[in-house]
Amino acid sequence: MKKQGKAFVFRGKYFFLFILIVYGILFFVDSQSTLLSLRKSGAVLLKVLPIFAAVILFTALLNYFLQPRQIARHLGRESGLQGWLWALAAGIISHGPMYAWYPLLEDLRSHGMRDGLIVVFFSARTIKLPLLPMMIDYFGWSFTLILSLYILTGALLQGRLLELLEKIRFKR
Amino acid sequence: MKNQHKKIQRPSFPKVLKKSSLSFLAMAPLLLGIIGLVGLFQVLITPKMLASLFRGNALVDTVIGTFVGAAAAGNPVVSYLLGGELLAQGISLYAVTAFILSWVTLGFIQLPAEVDVFGGRFVLYRNVLAFIFTMIIAVLTTLTLRVLL
Repeated sequence: MKKQGKAFVFRGKYFFLFILIVYGILFFVDSQSTLLSLRKSGAVLLKVLPIFAAVILFTALLNYFLQPRQIARHLGRESGLQGWLWALAAGIISHGPMYAWYPLLEDLRSHGMRDGLIVVFFSARTIKLPLLPMMIDYFGWSFTLILSLYILTGALLQGRLLELLEKIRFKR
Repeated sequence: MKNQHKKIQRPSFPKVLKKSSLSFLAMAPLLLGIIGLVGLFQVLITPKMLASLFRGNALVDTVIGTFVGAAAAGNPVVSYLLGGELLAQGISLYAVTAFILSWVTLGFIQLPAEVDVFGGRFVLYRNVLAFIFTMIIAVLTTLTLRVLL
């Protein structure tokens, strides 16, 4: 029998239901705050929609142009220094909230992206290129520069440490 | 012959795009749940509440700053604004640095989704590492600044 693709299943529906219930209960306690929260959530959703669209398009482009084997070569076990640098650069460039990138990273991980690189990506996201001028304005040049250097070093160290932890766990 | 076989196997771009859209759509309840939580946190946990948690002790405040940043939600710009306010109120640079770092790298709100996508063990390792490194980077940045300036 031919194996069918994974069936479409909504993920996190109970979590979503829980949040709806929280909103429902809160509405009876403080309707004004609940409506304001809804409005804020709507504003956040509108803001992240273009990022979601970009992530969908980017995932599709990656899957179209790169075979899983190639993804594994660039971001997998054999990726070497190049993989670490890709993850750092991608983290710095990536825009929007962290959760917007979960689908893409999950997809890349299923194609062989190593966990250490996911950690590097998340850590490097602390450097927000468009916000650097604002950070300089608030905290000064020296602070921004030193902090950025430590963030990059810390991101790489965290990636390596995570892989070490995983190695130790597998050895047991 | 082999190449021809490969060409036949490659799906069309609209098909790949549809697959990506569907896998994203499958995650919609999870993402909408987080966005709902972000809205709640932005309204119920005010910047004033967050600022009142600091105690004035550099070491304790660094830990508090990391926790507060992880619990907060919203655009990182807000963390810079709040950080500037906290500095003006006399809160140490250690704490403020930890606060603006954990605002982006840590997030209690997105934990359920992160666990669902990456698995509990990975999320535990990543968050513990991020927590420790947030404090290390905060301390190192402040100490380096003190030595250099």
